[in-house]
Amino acid sequence: MKRRNRLVFLGVLALGALAGLGAYTQQQKPLDPFEEAMRQRQMYLETFGVLPGDLFVEEGKELFFRKGPSGKTLEECDFGKGKGVLEGVYAILPKYFSDSKRVEDLETRVYTCMQTVQGYKPAEIKRDEVRAITTYIASFSSKAKIQVVPKHPAELAMYNLGRELWYTRAGARDMSCAICHDQYAGQRVRLSPVRSPKQGLGNEWPAYRFEEDRLYTMEDRINFCYESIAIPKPEFYSDVHIALTVYMLAEATKAGHSFEELPFFTR
Amino acid sequence: MTKKASILLVSVVILGLGLTQVSPFRARFEAALHAGGHEFAKVMLSQDKGQALCSQYRDKLPPDLIPTFLAEQKALIKYPANGKLMGDWKNGEKVFTDPKRGNCYACHAGVASEVAHGTMGPSLTNYGQRGTSEAVVRYTYEKIFNAWAFVPCSLMYRGGVHGLFTPEETADLVAFLLDPESPINRR
Repeated sequence: MKRRNRLVFLGVLALGALAGLGAYTQQQKPLDPFEEAMRQRQMYLETFGVLPGDLFVEEGKELFFRKGPSGKTLEECDFGKGKGVLEGVYAILPKYFSDSKRVEDLETRVYTCMQTVQGYKPAEIKRDEVRAITTYIASFSSKAKIQVVPKHPAELAMYNLGRELWYTRAGARDMSCAICHDQYAGQRVRLSPVRSPKQGLGNEWPAYRFEEDRLYTMEDRINFCYESIAIPKPEFYSDVHIALTVYMLAEATKAGHSFEELPFFTR
Repeated sequence: MTKKASILLVSVVILGLGLTQVSPFRARFEAALHAGGHEFAKVMLSQDKGQALCSQYRDKLPPDLIPTFLAEQKALIKYPANGKLMGDWKNGEKVFTDPKRGNCYACHAGVASEVAHGTMGPSLTNYGQRGTSEAVVRYTYEKIFNAWAFVPCSLMYRGGVHGLFTPEETADLVAFLLDPESPINRR
């Protein structure tokens, strides 16, 4: 689908979402947000025959096969299971890559390969493009079992950093990830249910959020969390995102969780 | 100097050196914070003593640290210049609701007609049934201004300490909770 069609389409969806949201905050009893998301998802499917997330997958696919300044496409990038393999790679990331000598999540890996394989300069890489390519690649791990098991020393170090970040209380609201997502898992902030890593936190991204009319990757979602607790969001592709993702998904792995249908559709 | 004494001296010096170095893990952690950018690192690295202790002990302080912790937090509480701990409930409701100030509905139920409230904290609906004795008013004021003066490392943040609301606005919040005319106490 062309970009312009997509914009029109998303505009219509946003209107629908707004109406839905209005209806659901006006009610006497708050609806279960997940039930509401499923209702909205069904409505979009019946009205348009396609989900918003799928449009990002399509866009990502085009960008994946686009030649960079070096003349290469992202088919030449190793995303964790060898060049050109996309099936199930999202489920094993973040992991250590010997070429970049760094533990990378999928978004960072895309960012790295666009530079080292495709020859783009960092300033030429648009965040929206990385977001779409990430969504395309993640769609090959829809409903896959999460398999993040730190083994390499750099992965273990990243897990430990992630755990430290998880418990760090800072900012004008004295918050940390743990204080809500461990101690109060199962409760709500306003209407939003809060889950712990052991309950599978992190298994739904990338996802289209109908309330925001935007696609969120894991890094986007981590930034959203930091902003909502009065801590300035960390810069994309940083060790902060990667460490937290290793920690959360390693814990979700231990508890035997799988990813949702990716890209997911959520509130 | 005897051989024993020299060994002891050398051990003490080595131990001292070891204790004064930033641990490799801490150095690595700080590098990761800086990788997150200047603004992010600035906030994450400017923890006060209480935040640092809560992080270090994963929000469960060892019992022997608790009395000092509570006393230090209590000392951070400031009071309105006019000494009145119960102010105007109407302004209190604004502060209570404002996401940038109290943001209390994130965790607490308040006025019964507001259904979009969190469940992490206890419901505050009909909080006023406690009455308005001096003890209740003072406890309510101090708890709102600095929750950590009562429960170390609680999820409830220290809104007064961080200046999210002023002492006068804290008194307004107290009135919103305790005033019999406040909608939180009326059907």
